[in-house]
Amino acid sequence: MSAADLARLQFAATTGIHWLFVILTMGLVPLVAILHTRAAFTRDPAERAARERMTRFWGQLYVINYAVGIVTGLVMEFQFGLSWSGLSKFAGNVFGAPLALETLIAFFAESTFLGMWIFGWGRLRRGVHVTLIWLVALTAYASAYWILVANGFMQHPVGYEVRDGQAYLTDFGALLTNPSALLALAHVTLAALTTGGVFVAGISAVHCLRGAKERDLFRGSLRLGVWVATLASFFVIIVGDLQFPLLDRTQPRKLAALEDGGAPWHLWLRISMDTMTIIGNTVSTITLVAVLLLWKDWLVRWRPLAYLMAAMIPFPFIASAGGWAFREVGRQPWLVYGELRVDDALSPVGTASLAVSCALFIALFVALAAVNWTLLVRFARRGPEATQLGATEPLPDDLPEGGSGDAPGGGTDEKHPVPVF
Amino acid sequence: MSLEIFWLALLGLLLAGYFVLGGYDYGVQMLHPFLGGRGGGPGAREAPPAGSPPTGRNAALDAMAPFFLGNEVWLVAFTGVLFGAFPHLEGSLLSGLYPLIVAILAGLVVGNAAVQLRGRARGPRGRRWWGALIACGGALPALCWGLVLGLLLHGVPRRADGSFHIGPGEVLTPFVLACGATTALLFAAHGAAFVALRSAPQLAARARLLGTTLVRATGAVGCLPLLLTLFGAGASPVNRAASAVLAALLAAALAGAWWCLSRGHHARAFAATSGAALLPVALVGAGQYPYVLKASAGGGMTLHEAVTDSATLTILTAFGVVLVPVILAYQTWSWWAFRGRTGRRHPSYF
Repeated sequence: MSAADLARLQFAATTGIHWLFVILTMGLVPLVAILHTRAAFTRDPAERAARERMTRFWGQLYVINYAVGIVTGLVMEFQFGLSWSGLSKFAGNVFGAPLALETLIAFFAESTFLGMWIFGWGRLRRGVHVTLIWLVALTAYASAYWILVANGFMQHPVGYEVRDGQAYLTDFGALLTNPSALLALAHVTLAALTTGGVFVAGISAVHCLRGAKERDLFRGSLRLGVWVATLASFFVIIVGDLQFPLLDRTQPRKLAALEDGGAPWHLWLRISMDTMTIIGNTVSTITLVAVLLLWKDWLVRWRPLAYLMAAMIPFPFIASAGGWAFREVGRQPWLVYGELRVDDALSPVGTASLAVSCALFIALFVALAAVNWTLLVRFARRGPEATQLGATEPLPDDLPEGGSGDAPGGGTDEKHPVPVF
Repeated sequence: MSLEIFWLALLGLLLAGYFVLGGYDYGVQMLHPFLGGRGGGPGAREAPPAGSPPTGRNAALDAMAPFFLGNEVWLVAFTGVLFGAFPHLEGSLLSGLYPLIVAILAGLVVGNAAVQLRGRARGPRGRRWWGALIACGGALPALCWGLVLGLLLHGVPRRADGSFHIGPGEVLTPFVLACGATTALLFAAHGAAFVALRSAPQLAARARLLGTTLVRATGAVGCLPLLLTLFGAGASPVNRAASAVLAALLAAALAGAWWCLSRGHHARAFAATSGAALLPVALVGAGQYPYVLKASAGGGMTLHEAVTDSATLTILTAFGVVLVPVILAYQTWSWWAFRGRTGRRHPSYF
């Protein structure tokens, strides 16, 4: 393999795996925020404790996935400079700004607030604690926006002019309102919500089969997941179709390669596109039926239906990987469409270094993905009883009177432990 | 003050913030098997009370836990600003130091994931594996950042086409290796000072003893790069006077850390090790000015060559003057919200 192939493989593999974590993070965080808000506004203490436990259960799955997402995201921030320094030489004046703003506006805040949310159970005031998870959700989507502004520039460069072989920013507003970025943001948001909704609905459906007690616990999240997945998967198809006129205008060769059997990359584009559309339509239809079956819990009374909901969980991930491949493969051979070729942007790095780093990153990321999904399955199966997030261990002197496994977990307004500094 | 200097200062602030905050994370990661494990935490020596779940919580990791996610993002912000404001430096620096940056990233990925997932292990065996990864994931970035500092102080070889490039011959020099060892020891000492500040008295006392030894070792090993520089085989600073002052401050910070730690002034000791952790960044920035990436044969990439176009810089500045105070405010808030010593009352999630 040439250095360019290796650098390409490294970028595609790491971005692709990173994306699988990101889409679940983005899909779950609004649902966790909604559940947390509902719990916080519940008056009855017993009911509130139950709802807080459910929040911690879903929050636990979200946080496991986020842990892996953030470490792969760290690597992504370095990727352009490592193997594609030609991009910063040509387009650094334009392309760097959205990435810088993404880190300062979104990534920084998301991580800090999530750290506070994880350790804030029983320590922060309830209103503050709920605000934190909403800030995490908001900054997660802000992050997506800025990344897509950068990606939109690669797909459909706007707001710049080229002087002496370098791009210069001329219209910041045009960069921020690039239709290629905005439509993609809408599409990705809806795809993420579909993924999150199907994830929550599938896990809830299987738990509902375990008995009346579990069904009472998981009924709320089942309904939330099914409704979110239904609405999001309906609109994700519409917004997806809206992108074709734009492609026709801005990236005609991408569409041509999709139809023309002789074009390079045709097969890749065809398979990615068909995977995405078939899964999108199927998930949309199934969830629409599932909404109707929510009536009188019909959805979870018949076992195969509940298992079907769980079996659907991987498919939105596959569909979104297809959509991503279509967007990025269809851009070839351009890195910045019509301006900079991928081959011309390669860093002056030796093939041996690239081969080592490529193998290392792919091995690490695949291992992380395996660990992530093993842990998600394990903690999803165990149910709310085994949630560690926000659980305080009983102290030796608490045991005689208390004794309950995960004592004052939920954001109680009791006196805080007095800090001794 | 010109915008270029403002952004260089901001870049330095973010990197220095990362060295201080990420630095104690790596120190705690390296030391957590010795601090806060079995026989570490308060009351951990007694058998766990009957009926309580075997948790395997580690008091040293608990100490840094609420800040961990907020600390690592300083590096992300540094990279973002590097790309936004200094795109030409970004491309040259990261691709020029390719093997070291890849090693740092691999260490970060493993260490960060292990810190966050250790608590999800099913038993002591799994936790031991995660624990080993946590320690390696702290030591590798600490060492490699030291090597990067050494290379930046010494100068990076530049090819005829203007690109920077390092090979094993440049990394495996006494000066660069000594810088790596010093930084790793410094971060470990800084981590010990942090545990001493944050933990219950029994663990704090153990961290203080370990920290004192580590500060002494940092000072001893740190003499090597200094001597090599004096004999002409080490750093080649552009601004000799500024470098001498900063190196003296670094020595003073280490001496202060040793003094305060051995006398039990934990807060002051942590302030001193923090100063020692951020001074190397100032040493590279001020010592090599106006170069942001110095070539080993003399010359290099100047600040003016590295910076983005002025139109872009103006837009970034409009965001920066709002965002930086906001960032500092909410980071300070998170430190305040989780101030105080940790004990078993705190939810332990990591």
